[in-house]
Amino acid sequence: MKNALRLVIPVLVTCIVAAAGLALTYKVTEPKIAEQDRLAEERSLQAVLPDATFTCLESSRIQGDIDAAADPVDVLDTFHAAIDGEHAGWAVKVSSRGYGGPMVVVIGLDTSGSVTGVTILSHNETPGLGTKVITDTWFLEQFPTLEAGFTDADVRGLDAISGTTKSSNGVRNGVAAVGRVYTEVLSGLGEGGFE
Amino acid sequence: MSEWFRVFKQGLSIENPLTVLMIGLCATLAVSTQFQNALFMGFAVIFVLTMSNVLVSVFRRLIPSEVRIPIFIVVIASFVTIVDLVMKAFVPSVYSVLGIWIPLIVVNCVILGRAEAFAYQNTVGLSAADGLGMGIGYSAVIVLLALIRELFGTGRIVWFDGVLFSLPAGYAPPSLLLLFPGAFLVFAFMIVGARWINERFEARKEAPACRP
Repeated sequence: MKNALRLVIPVLVTCIVAAAGLALTYKVTEPKIAEQDRLAEERSLQAVLPDATFTCLESSRIQGDIDAAADPVDVLDTFHAAIDGEHAGWAVKVSSRGYGGPMVVVIGLDTSGSVTGVTILSHNETPGLGTKVITDTWFLEQFPTLEAGFTDADVRGLDAISGTTKSSNGVRNGVAAVGRVYTEVLSGLGEGGFE
Repeated sequence: MSEWFRVFKQGLSIENPLTVLMIGLCATLAVSTQFQNALFMGFAVIFVLTMSNVLVSVFRRLIPSEVRIPIFIVVIASFVTIVDLVMKAFVPSVYSVLGIWIPLIVVNCVILGRAEAFAYQNTVGLSAADGLGMGIGYSAVIVLLALIRELFGTGRIVWFDGVLFSLPAGYAPPSLLLLFPGAFLVFAFMIVGARWINERFEARKEAPACRP
């Protein structure tokens, strides 16, 4: 018993001190991190639909339909975009599977459902390799060629980057899912849905 | 003080964690595709290694040897999490690229290895010297490796949103250098280089003794 205590107490003390230190660091950095995340999100929303103001869609009824349409990709947030009070389109934040885990991709759509832009908010892809989906700018720039009513086959028809097929597919699957979400859910909401 | 410098220098030269001891290679080869990432990885390793060495050394008499490994891991993991949170808060652009490798510093054998092999048996001052020396030795190698791979693999050196240096436009970069085989190749030449330098130093030290 005495021997067990001799071993347990140092481990316990170490863990308590470590937890306290981490809690303190977390408290200090948390507002900073939340702010950085918010800025990053704002930047990518502005990149896909410039000059718009975004309101996050909060409706559990629609969320169910959206999730069903997007499967297997997860839709994190759907934003309604407005320019000068006029309905200007949608921005959808999805989490799609890349090579190194989930990739969070933001896709902008105009009122007709054509893609206005795609940005990658966060990812775990291999630096220098999977990250080519960001650094080889032509890859993301080909998505705005997708016209209203685009289908999964249209998205598959776009080029992937050789050597980074899985990362490319992560982005393409995300865009294809948003295409389905628009056709099945968002297009039906129309302008009247947002008063 | 001379002992302090001897320990400090060992990490840079004859006991360099990467080119001589060859520990902690996985994260090294993976991160060294960009100079910028390698530099921040180096800073993170120097910080975690020195702090964990000092802390382990301070409490070395209180840590029972039967449970030393779990305690080392908790200490190291805490410092790594601190680095992780701080980087996320203050240099998000680096964090977005380096993100997955930071938590892996926990299992980087350099750090656990030094806690176990050095800090647990030596005084605080020497452990700090060992941590700094090993950390700087690690950083120097990973930064050089990344410089070579990025410059010749992409044709330029990137620093955040700007380009620090680029090769003439006619240069067609072989992407092999960015992939793992390229990492191994370049690293192998660096080991040769490190051996050669270390042997030259050894030879110079022994030379006077050989003369009659």
